[in-house]
Amino acid sequence: MLQVENTLFTIVMLLYFAAMICYFLFIAVKKDGMAKTAIILQSAGLVLHTAALVCRGIGAGRLPLTNQYEFATAFAWGLSLVSLIFVIRFKFPVLGAFAAPVTFLVIGYAAMQSKEVKELMPALRSNWLGFHVSTAIIAYGAFGVSFVLGIIFLLRDRMRASGFLDSHIPDKEKLDIISYRSVSLGLLFLSFTIITGAIWAERAWGSYWSWDPKETWSLVTWIIYAAYLHLRIRRGWQGKAAAIFAVAGFICVMFTYIGVNTFLPGVHSYA
Amino acid sequence: MTTFKKLWRFLSSMKFAIILLVILAVACSLASLVTQGQDYAWYAQRYSERTAALILALGLDDAFHSVWFIAITAFLCINLLLCNVLRLPGLIRRTKSESDPAKVLDAAGDISVENVRDPESVFKRLGMKPIKVEGREAYFAAKHRAGLWGAWVCHLGILLLILGFGLGQATQKQYAVYGVPGTSKPIGDTEYALTIDDFRVGLREDDTVEQYTADITVRDLSEKGIGSSESASISVNHPATLYGMKFYQNSTGWAATVHITKDGKPLQEEVLCAGEYLLVKDKPELAIYLSAFYPDYVMTPGVGPSTASGALNNPAYLYQVYYQEQVLGMNILMPEEELTIDEYTVTFSDPQNYTLIQIKRDRFTPLALAGGLITLLGLILALYLQPARVWAIRTENGWTIRGQCRKGGALFRERFMKAIQTEEV
Ligand code: HEM
Repeated sequence: MLQVENTLFTIVMLLYFAAMICYFLFIAVKKDGMAKTAIILQSAGLVLHTAALVCRGIGAGRLPLTNQYEFATAFAWGLSLVSLIFVIRFKFPVLGAFAAPVTFLVIGYAAMQSKEVKELMPALRSNWLGFHVSTAIIAYGAFGVSFVLGIIFLLRDRMRASGFLDSHIPDKEKLDIISYRSVSLGLLFLSFTIITGAIWAERAWGSYWSWDPKETWSLVTWIIYAAYLHLRIRRGWQGKAAAIFAVAGFICVMFTYIGVNTFLPGVHSYA
Repeated sequence: MTTFKKLWRFLSSMKFAIILLVILAVACSLASLVTQGQDYAWYAQRYSERTAALILALGLDDAFHSVWFIAITAFLCINLLLCNVLRLPGLIRRTKSESDPAKVLDAAGDISVENVRDPESVFKRLGMKPIKVEGREAYFAAKHRAGLWGAWVCHLGILLLILGFGLGQATQKQYAVYGVPGTSKPIGDTEYALTIDDFRVGLREDDTVEQYTADITVRDLSEKGIGSSESASISVNHPATLYGMKFYQNSTGWAATVHITKDGKPLQEEVLCAGEYLLVKDKPELAIYLSAFYPDYVMTPGVGPSTASGALNNPAYLYQVYYQEQVLGMNILMPEEELTIDEYTVTFSDPQNYTLIQIKRDRFTPLALAGGLITLLGLILALYLQPARVWAIRTENGWTIRGQCRKGGALFRERFMKAIQTEEV
């Protein structure tokens, strides 16, 4: 099973890479057909990616969401899933073109991690862990999409020079509301992540919140997106300021994900 | 406006909320960069003496319990409370008017389309059930009114969450009891005693630990409850609640039996956990300290003693001997080996695991949990139920349909137009 997963993982990386190239070509040669190809490639990649995760789960005999490699590949899956949904739902392949490199970077990061299947230490053997991590994947995927939308928002005026992009990038009001949808999805799931994490910590360590750096940074992330929601409501702050918060929020997500393990000590050091 | 009124306005404003949220985010991130709970010497060594002094002066060594952190949180609570209290009457009014066609029929709406032939199918496509407005040739439908309450419910949840957490921090009691099976000890300053009946380390085939399980009994020693007891089996991730206290299988370590003989005659025999002292019975200025136990002992030059695995393949004891609180010597002792100090002989045997059980009483955890769940509910309402109203008025050439959805913006207008366009061309 793990062998199958390995092969699938390689194919998935190639498919995502091909999708990314097609998205780029779509912008470069301005042909809608390229966007369709990119979407098909990304969809195929996503289906095989799902299969890869299932194979790993069967091979390891547990939910495949417990170490750096497993979380990184699942994170890429979440990014790919949420971005694909947004691309299709809002007919917005330019979003795909900006999201694809982020997805590719994350799956590339996954490829560099050790794929070894290790037995779980007792504290990690909990159903709450499953809820905790799977909601985090969706939250991170959605925040990745808001990040990309924030970047598009901030670059929009510069990119408008070409008429082609003009017809493929929604106006600022619509961009703002699409970004609002992705932040809403992310914040809701991040709230689930934090609460299930707290319930799990309470059962495993006897304390539901202990200001461990990873906890603290997930709170910082949560606060930034809460501030984003309030900024949006204020007249005059909608748009640019909110877009900057959406970008800053994802930087916090990435710091929570990678930075905390690298630079700060804490109980999350295993994942 | 008087200064007081201005202050009141500001304290309850969303602007203040945003400022507080940003300050809180910055405060948390700064605090996470400094290792918490160390002393001056530690910080001075890690950074510099100036930085260390600054860290202590600012309370950054225990940031999350510092005055300024609590003050920011308190302001956030005041802000939230005022905002929710002040907005409540308006919210109730809006909830009522939201479903009252009379209030909206003549308004412009966010979007309006004239000359629609079949309004009912438009409502249907929008997933809305229209009612006929009395006394007028008009239809009206409202959807997701509960969404109006989302932010309010979310704010309430956060208040309860902060309250539950704060009260818990202020009143919770924590204790720890450790020992090998058979140990019975009082639980801190409570009127209860804990007995460790059994402790098992469940190993997988590859010798990795699958689970730690302790069987425990708690006895009520108070006059009222004398004789009563409750038992439970606890393991990692599966705590148990006995007498209102929660018991956690927290960690484990090694213990061994120490035998002391004097002039060849048995003098003393006791179980010692790694990290514990034993004072020699008839010479208390002499103490044996079990520094560490290695179940699968290996000695690596330059690195020191360590264990190759968790299995009892090559047990070894690292001890220290103290005389009048001065170290007399330290070394490794193998199971059959004897340590001789004057007329005393010391041996170690029967290594076994001890367990550390953490005991906690926090009456406010349920409040914090309720706060968290209410926050979640509020978020779902606020972010996923967007209140929308659509109404249709009969005109000469058909119907004029109008819609309003403050939060839906362009997406609502798109959906609205789509529902109409599939109908009319
Ligand atoms: C951690 C703190 C807070 C969180 C998580 C939070 C969350 C939210 C959410 C989710 C919304 C709905 C946004 C939307 O519908 O797009 C909202 C709206 C709002 N919040 Fe907060 N909030 C917080 C603090 C505050 C504070 C302290 C105030 C004090 C003034 C405040 C005032 C408002 C107002 C006035 C609205 C608009 C309500 C509406 O549109 O119906 N918030 N908040």
